[in-house]
Amino acid sequence: MSSVSSQPEVTAHDAAARGPILLLLGSALKWLVLAGVLSLVTSIQLIKPDFLADCSVLTHGRAVALAETAFVYGWLANAGLGVALWVLARLGGEALRAGNWTMVGTAFWNLGVTVGCIGIATGDATSFSLLQLPRYVQPLLAVAYAAIGVGGVLAWTGRRTAGTYASQWYAVAALFLFPWLFTAAQVVLFWSPVRGTMQAVAAGWFAQGAWTLWLAPLALSGAYYVVPKVTGRTLPSYDFAGLGFWTLIFTGAWTGGRHLIGGPVPAWIPTLGIVACSLLLFHTLIVGLNLRGAFFQSGAVLKFTAFGLAAYLAGGVLDALFSFRSLAEITQFTHFTTAQQQLAFTGGLSMMLFGSIYFAVPRLTGRAWASGGMISLHKLAATGGVLVLVGSLAMAGWIQGHALAEAKTSFAEISARTRPWLLAATAAQALLLFGNLLLAVNFLRSVCACCCGESAPTASPFRAPGVMEAPAS
Amino acid sequence: MKNGFVFFTGLFVALAASWGGIVLGSHRQLGSLAPFYSDGDSASFPARPAGLAARGQLVYADLGCAACHTQQVRRPDFGTDKARGWGDRQSVARDYIFQVRPQLGASRIGPDLANLAGRKPSPMDDEDLFKLLYAGTATHPAYKFLFDERAIVGQPTDTRLRLTGSLAPAAGREIVPTERAQTLVAYLLSLNTTFEFPEARPLPKPPAPAPGAHGAHGAKKKEEAKK
Repeated sequence: MSSVSSQPEVTAHDAAARGPILLLLGSALKWLVLAGVLSLVTSIQLIKPDFLADCSVLTHGRAVALAETAFVYGWLANAGLGVALWVLARLGGEALRAGNWTMVGTAFWNLGVTVGCIGIATGDATSFSLLQLPRYVQPLLAVAYAAIGVGGVLAWTGRRTAGTYASQWYAVAALFLFPWLFTAAQVVLFWSPVRGTMQAVAAGWFAQGAWTLWLAPLALSGAYYVVPKVTGRTLPSYDFAGLGFWTLIFTGAWTGGRHLIGGPVPAWIPTLGIVACSLLLFHTLIVGLNLRGAFFQSGAVLKFTAFGLAAYLAGGVLDALFSFRSLAEITQFTHFTTAQQQLAFTGGLSMMLFGSIYFAVPRLTGRAWASGGMISLHKLAATGGVLVLVGSLAMAGWIQGHALAEAKTSFAEISARTRPWLLAATAAQALLLFGNLLLAVNFLRSVCACCCGESAPTASPFRAPGVMEAPAS
Repeated sequence: MKNGFVFFTGLFVALAASWGGIVLGSHRQLGSLAPFYSDGDSASFPARPAGLAARGQLVYADLGCAACHTQQVRRPDFGTDKARGWGDRQSVARDYIFQVRPQLGASRIGPDLANLAGRKPSPMDDEDLFKLLYAGTATHPAYKFLFDERAIVGQPTDTRLRLTGSLAPAAGREIVPTERAQTLVAYLLSLNTTFEFPEARPLPKPPAPAPGAHGAHGAKKKEEAKK
């Protein structure tokens, strides 16, 4: 198997994709580091409420909204789109077209997110989860997204291959579904807002839709591409991939009510959410079956992808389990829900995207990563960080939930009981930030080496495949 | 999935179905919910918020208070919301119909605030709230940027905080809430969900079916007839 991955094919198509995709990935990493800093701030504020409390741009509420926005619209969106466009161009058998559109779109998307973050810091957040960006930047983001997506759509419609792959389905679905979700949510939340708690229902529909129909498919398109490429084998149980895909697409947004259990909304909404969470297990199961090859091979790309996959699977099971009313009664409104979200985002999606980035960047730049040691260190920091973060937040949430269920326990007491776990979570945030900084530096060095044309080894563009993919087994 | 048209239509139908089902479905059920007119009180509930309180909700939203406080009391047998004194009844959709941007929240790092002004035996008053916002506690941050410290010119301002001990300002100076703090507190003091809507009353527990009776349903009818 090592013979397959030690000769990574660099196609002519990658040259056309280099500029746009590297721009998307670079912007993504900038936001990833910023989101890490902000998450660290919010985590410290949970231990020490007075931390930066007098700084009105970073009250806890605003810092949480900022960290979430930078992470989702900055990091996940840019990186996911970069990976999805690259995969679509490669699988379509054509050079990436409309690269200029993608570059201009990326510039405006990042401008929009920057303006939006300034808006949140100065008090224009919408207070809807995963849609905190002020309404005035939303039209700009929609237009910029369309410009970025042009290349992907052209790669899909002009594909030279007869069949299509699961990777492409997920990428195309994400490209199309986000604008629909985004505009439909804007209509009912801002332009012609529905009344009262219906807003919470619509916002829940958007948040769960953005997660299941946009962000998860972006990351999965990368994973479905990278795993067979690196293992050099066709995916097992691939016949089921279509079922897994359509299960996600058809049930994903119906999970919208799962955070409204016991809330002031019609009871059928959370009930549907619970049912949909359980139905999604079919999707989770099929993704696990298809990509199980990732667990049995070494190499940085697959280690990241496999960890992301494991977190994605565990997240799906936890979501289904803890959406049941008897468990939600305890974990609702606690750090446990944050742990679930971190498991999905930081554990699942980020790690799958890291895997795809570690695979794609050498092929785009035409040379190996600048530093292999930094990759190993990033892997250690990221896996350790996610495990500690999710574990400690889950423990803090579990304790908090049980303490909230004792009517006599005061909030000071609850905060004292959860404090050790929140300290651990803060340490984990610092570790994650450190790891992500390593990736950003490594990326910058690799791209600079490529741009400056430093000692381009023409015969073997990959200095040491062992570093890049480490097919050591 | 060779057929692009079918694929595309599938995506669209999937999303449209969930949007229609969840968003339009709930809107159809509750979108035209009207206030409840109570003959006994000769007033309708919920009351429309005063202008100051409505503006205060925007301050609440823009500071991100919902990151730590929910505004949804759960029913008495689901969690300990009632036992904690957050409200005698569960929050219902009708409570929120006049709110521009309901702040249900998703995290309880602090207490629920849905019925802050209706707490028993005595709710917090504006002075308590200003002091909490200015000085903070071990678990609540102090938001000093919501207050101005200034020299007393002539008479001290009526709205100044009556602070004692280490918090007290230097002689000749006073601490006054800004307009934002005043609207925020006006909003917090408007959060009152004590009126019992019919839909918020817990369902009467069905009595155990007596042998020979027509089950719980018949017993319920009898109970209603008694009323």
